[in-house]
Amino acid sequence: MSLRLSMARFALVSSVVVLNAGVWSSVSAQDSGAWQGVWIADGLTPDISGFPPPGSRWYKLLDPQAPWNEEGRKRFEAMMRSGSDRKANGWGFPMMMDGAAPFEILVTPHKTLVINIYRDVRHIYTDGRAHPADDERWPTTWGDSVGRWDGDTLVVDTVSVRNPPLYFFSAPPLSEQAHYIERLRKNGPDRIDSVMTIEDPVTLAKPWVLNLTYVRAEGTDRLLNDDYANDRSEVEAGLFTIVPPKR
Amino acid sequence: MTTNRTRLARASGLLFVPFAALAHHSPSMFDGSKQMTLTGTVREFQWSNPHSYIQLVVKGADGTEQEWSLEMGANAYLYNLGWRPSTVKPGDTLTVKVDPLRNGTRGGLVIEAVTADGKTLGRRP
Repeated sequence: MSLRLSMARFALVSSVVVLNAGVWSSVSAQDSGAWQGVWIADGLTPDISGFPPPGSRWYKLLDPQAPWNEEGRKRFEAMMRSGSDRKANGWGFPMMMDGAAPFEILVTPHKTLVINIYRDVRHIYTDGRAHPADDERWPTTWGDSVGRWDGDTLVVDTVSVRNPPLYFFSAPPLSEQAHYIERLRKNGPDRIDSVMTIEDPVTLAKPWVLNLTYVRAEGTDRLLNDDYANDRSEVEAGLFTIVPPKR
Repeated sequence: MTTNRTRLARASGLLFVPFAALAHHSPSMFDGSKQMTLTGTVREFQWSNPHSYIQLVVKGADGTEQEWSLEMGANAYLYNLGWRPSTVKPGDTLTVKVDPLRNGTRGGLVIEAVTADGKTLGRRP
């Protein structure tokens, strides 16, 4: 290898290291490894039925006392009244941030990923970018998220969340104009506190502020994904039932 | 008592009919007000997603054998509670508390499982 080629390679590597250092330093200062592990919304750990046991708290995102305006209240009551039934492919956003599904938070220099056991994935870009222009994004199940580090707090800005959601059988009946801000902060080794503020000109009379807490999911140190290989529920006469096993 | 399960069941509908063949579902199909206890022999334990199942053979009042399909949480949930694929084996005797299916067929949601020697299998972490 020529000296000129070696120097060129060194220069290129050095410039990449320098460029990355600025981004990484803000993340490493937060001890990104401390965010590792499996988390779950406090108070929603399921029992063997797969649902939080009797006595568990209710989902904060399904709060009838949220500051719904007339349209929001009408939508919420319609959701609670509905007697139909449906399946879900996961939790979607925002339900995955206050649900019974364990999740991981992977902090990297340029983005943070939130992934749960139902394979819901949020991509939170922390490289300084803004949301795409209006004509380059559209409502999706998880929305479009960008973030930044404010000291030891990860601030996440999410827009373009699909509603009504297709991924879960209950979700706050917000509109697709809803704007979500989360401030997540590690509070000790086994706790993350988050303040989620939702503004929605269509369904909310004022900003809806939710205090969420995540704790270590007990009994596991890994996220266990599996496909839906054994779905035995089918609808009969408008209600799900369990179909016999395949033999 | 209005439990999280029953509230979720009430809130399970929104504007949709079931749309996906492979997915998990709400607990609205089970009747939490009619909890029952079954004792029987395990025919099969399905360690699976979106739900796990125990096929339990129970003797009816007339002495005939009846097979129940008993639903549990996804395998990932059971793992976190200490269950493993080998926790329940064919031939095991189990006593289970279940919320039965509302449609009256032999099936339900497992709330508690106790072995023949009285050991409750992991309910919480």
